[in-house]
Formats: sequence, structure tokens, C-alpha cells
Amino acid sequence: MSKFSAFVLSFAVTVLVALFAASADAKVYLDVYGQSYKKITIAVPPFATEGQPRPVVSDLLGRDLDMSGFFVVAPRSLMDNGLANEGIDKRSIKFDQWRSLGVELLCKALIQEKDNGFSLEAYLYDASDGTLLFAKRYRATPTEWRRIVHRLADEIILTVTGEKGIMGSRILFVSGERRYRDVYVADLDGYGPRKLTNQHQIIVSPSVSPDGKYLAFTSYKEGRPNLYVVDLATGREAYTDRQEGTKVGSSWMNAKTIAYAHVLGRVSTIYAANVETKERKVLLRKEGILASPTFSPDGSKMVFVSDMHGGPNIFMMDLATGDTKRLSFFGNYNTSPAFSPKGDLIAFVSKTEGALEICVMKPDGSDARVLSDGGVNDSPVFSPCGRYILYSSQKGRKYSINMMLHNGENKRELTFTGAEETQPKFMP
Amino acid sequence: MKKSLFPLIMAAIILLFCGCSSKQPYTPITERMGKQPEVAQQPSEEAGAKEGINEEELARAERERQRLAAQAAANAAAHLPDIYFDFDSYVIRNQEMPALQDIADWLSKNQSVKVVIEGNCDERGTTEYNLALGQKRAEAAKDFLVRSGVAANRIRTNSYGKEVPVDAGHTEEAWAKNRRDHFASQQ
Repeated sequence: MSKFSAFVLSFAVTVLVALFAASADAKVYLDVYGQSYKKITIAVPPFATEGQPRPVVSDLLGRDLDMSGFFVVAPRSLMDNGLANEGIDKRSIKFDQWRSLGVELLCKALIQEKDNGFSLEAYLYDASDGTLLFAKRYRATPTEWRRIVHRLADEIILTVTGEKGIMGSRILFVSGERRYRDVYVADLDGYGPRKLTNQHQIIVSPSVSPDGKYLAFTSYKEGRPNLYVVDLATGREAYTDRQEGTKVGSSWMNAKTIAYAHVLGRVSTIYAANVETKERKVLLRKEGILASPTFSPDGSKMVFVSDMHGGPNIFMMDLATGDTKRLSFFGNYNTSPAFSPKGDLIAFVSKTEGALEICVMKPDGSDARVLSDGGVNDSPVFSPCGRYILYSSQKGRKYSINMMLHNGENKRELTFTGAEETQPKFMP
Repeated sequence: MKKSLFPLIMAAIILLFCGCSSKQPYTPITERMGKQPEVAQQPSEEAGAKEGINEEELARAERERQRLAAQAAANAAAHLPDIYFDFDSYVIRNQEMPALQDIADWLSKNQSVKVVIEGNCDERGTTEYNLALGQKRAEAAKDFLVRSGVAANRIRTNSYGKEVPVDAGHTEEAWAKNRRDHFASQQ
């Protein structure tokens, strides 16, 4: 506890100097890039309210913090009425009692709902010495209160880990019955799923351009797997590839350029297409199968799947020189690569005995580790901060979207529509 | 033990399947996509009854045309059995060569028939790679048919990857059924 206090103290000083501004080189409580770490116990007592009570607000914050994987949220049942209902200012908080429950951080907030507005005044305390780590005020329309709670959760995660959380993220995914699917977007916590397409078709591999302007996907609406890129604001088709053959596996190289694989006849081709000029160029063409192009964060390397050495394996091509090398030398089935945003890891799927597992390896193919635990897992993708991996997982009959930390810990099933859900991506 | 039994089981499944194929023609893709031809037929029948003999005759002619088309499709389906693949492979298996040769011969005798070869995969693979694999399975069969003398412009290829399994089970038997090329005829 005393070691922890020292951390908190130094951090609190930083916070005070920065006056609530996020400091990029702030000291972190948790090194989340280690193999493993100890979770911090945080208490989120019911938020004090004016007018009607809204325990639903503090409950949502508790769920966010729990889902992040960095916290143990102290159960409400541990708090007696006195603790649960004490005031929010420092003098009225009985820190010794919180400490006796094992609480390390304490989040207090006051909700104000008036003039058709919703505001949240939130305080984060270090329970070991009562230091105020931050005070924040958020405002929104009453219907947007969930966004505020997610922002507060992300701020707490920033304070504790040195990097903003992802609880305010939105997730893109495919949902529906096998032959009748659409692309949806929803909050990470499952709230508010909304259709982005109106296809009612087999749809695979959705992806959104880095600026959020375009949605790309492969759909069977014209009877075969064509690639469509639509402008999300207007719904207009910006680019379509209707060539004979299978067009699949879209990945954005920049805001206007999309790469995808095309399989026809004896050869496969990876194209890079500018969706505004419609100019399409060949990045790679080979006999056999090429699939699932993805790019290093600096844009210099393309990682893809090819069966040129037998079963599907992961290869990396230097885009400037064309030099290609194989990365995966384990098993005989390695597919679905995805670069981490820092470029330090590649997530992929590997077929092991009886299962398709989500794995990570270094970009040179070394240090491959299995993260998932059985079933048919597919479509791994890193969060923009690199700390989480989203993937689809089939255990039993139904596919669902799951999220875990990049070290494989804190696996959570995310549910959005109730139907089968696959191929998740973070919305930019 | 498991390995030595596998080819036997596979062979049994294939024999079973080939045996059934003449009695149970494969449903055309339009039906598998959830459209029922009877649905379209119903309104024209009613319309005929209301609007007199002419309409009735038209409806009857239409029904006859549909019946013939269905018969032709069933006939085609009987001659166009699915062919099966090994796991993660798009090489035509030796034991499938005679079936594929029969298809080539039948297509040569029925020049009006065009086919779409639909490649499919089992669930033990990733979505994107399976779409590519399904396409290659369709291409492999097309390649065989073209080399056997069927005009390339009569054959189109398509892939459904693992998206529409014919057997939704999670057994070796189900997977074997799903690793297939389906031949959909177009008269």
C-alpha cells in the first residue's frame, strides 16, 4: 500500500501541475504491457443525484471499469448505507473505512439534470491518503448520458494506466441469419445497435476508412461476392468491383485507398484501389490463393495470406522493394493477420488440434503465443490503443464477438443484437 | 486409429451420397436462397379464375412452362452431382474424377445448359480464406471441364466459402459434406 501511495503522490503532483490536463508522460499505476499485472480495486458508490436517483449511471461506470480489465470494482454489497450515501467532498469521505474494504481508488460524482441538460461532476480519489487525482465536469443532453459515463471511465483508465480507455468506442460488425445479414455499428457496451447497410445478404469483411467516411464490404446482393465501398453520409456507392471471381478482405491503406484480394482462375491478385479516382493497381499477383491483405502502421509493409508454401501461411512484403518473406512457421494453417497500431505485434488465427485459435507474434514471426482457449475463432483486430483484441468466436452453435487484452487476459463476450455476430472492427 | 478410419468413413459417405443423388436431385441455388417458385405461381392461378378462359389458358401455359423448367432443372441436377474435397484442398480427388467426367460428358450432350460452379468449405477455417478456397475449388472443377472439352463461356464460378453449409453439423461427416462444389444449371 505504501509503494502504491508513493506512486499516487507523484502522480497527484503531476495532475495538479497539469491542472486536470492529460499529461502524456504521466507515471502509470499499471504496466499493462507486461505479461500480467495486478488489478486495482476501485469503488463506485451510487452517484449522488438531484431530483430522481439514477443508480443506473454509477452502475454503467462500474461495468465499464470492470470490462476494461484493469480494475476490480468493489461490490455494492460491501458498502453500508453510511458509506454508500456519504457526501462527495473530501472532508465528508471516510477514507479509513474505504481502505478497510481494500478499496484503492474511489470515484464520486454528482449528477445534475436540469434545463434539458445532463451534467456529471466527477472526482477520483486515492483512498490510501485521500488525494484528489482529478475533478471533471461533463455535460450532455439527457439522452447522451451514456457517452459521458464512457468518457469518465476512459479518463479514469488514463489516470491509472497512462493511456486513454476504449470504453467510449463504437464497434462495427456483421449481424443476422446466415443468408440475411447487414453491417451494424453499436457502442462497445452493446448499446444502440444501428444498421449501416440495408442488404439482407451474405456479407463479409466490413471495414471503415480511417476518416470514417467510407464503409467497404463484400456482399452477394448481385449473386456473387462483389466488393462495395459506400459513402456513409450519403449511402452512395463510391467504388465497386464486379469482376468475375471472389473479391474479399478489404483493408484501408489510407483514407482513400483500399486493398483487397481477388481470386479468379489460376491466379489471385491483391489490388490497391483509390475509391475516389477509381484507379486500381496491382500490389501482388500470384498463382494460388492470396487473401487478407493488411498493412504495417507506417505503411511500408503488407502482410497477407498465401498458400504458396502449402497450407495457408502469413507472409510479409516490403512494398518498396517487393521482397517477400514467410512469417508463420508453425502448424499448417495460419490466416487472418492484423497489425497492432504500434507495429509491435501481429494477431492472427492458427489452426491447432481441433480449434482455430487467436494468436499473436512479433512482426518477424517470432514469439508466437496462443491467446484464445478453443473453439472456432476468427477476425482478430487490435483496438486503436493496441491494448485490446476484438475477435469473433464460435463456441457451441453461435458466433459472438469477444474482446480480450492483448496478453489474452480478461476475455469478455460482447452482445449487441442477439443474432449471430461476426467480424468486428473498431470504428475510427 | 482415427486417421486410418477417416478415408473409410469418407468413402462411405461419398458412396451414400452418390447412391442418393439420382433419387434426391439437388435443390437449385434459388431455392436454397429462400425463394419458393410456388409463391409466384399462386397469384396467377387466382387471377386466371377471375378473369375468364383466356387468363386461365395463359396461367395453364405458364404452369406448364414452369413445370417443364422444373423438370429440366431436376434432370440437370440429377446429372450434376456435387463433388467433394479434402480438408483445406482444392485439388480434384482421384475418386471424384469419374463423376466430373460424367458431368463433362453430360454437358457436352446438353449444349443449351450453362452451369455455375459454387465452391464451398467446411466451418474449420477462417471466413476470408475460405471464400478464396471456395473460389479455387470452383476453378479446379471448371479447369477439368474445360480440359474435357466444355466451352469455358458455359461455365461460371462462384464461392460461398463456409457461409452456407449444406449440413450445419459440427461432425467429420458434416464437414465432409460441406467441402464441395455444387453445380447449378441455367437452361
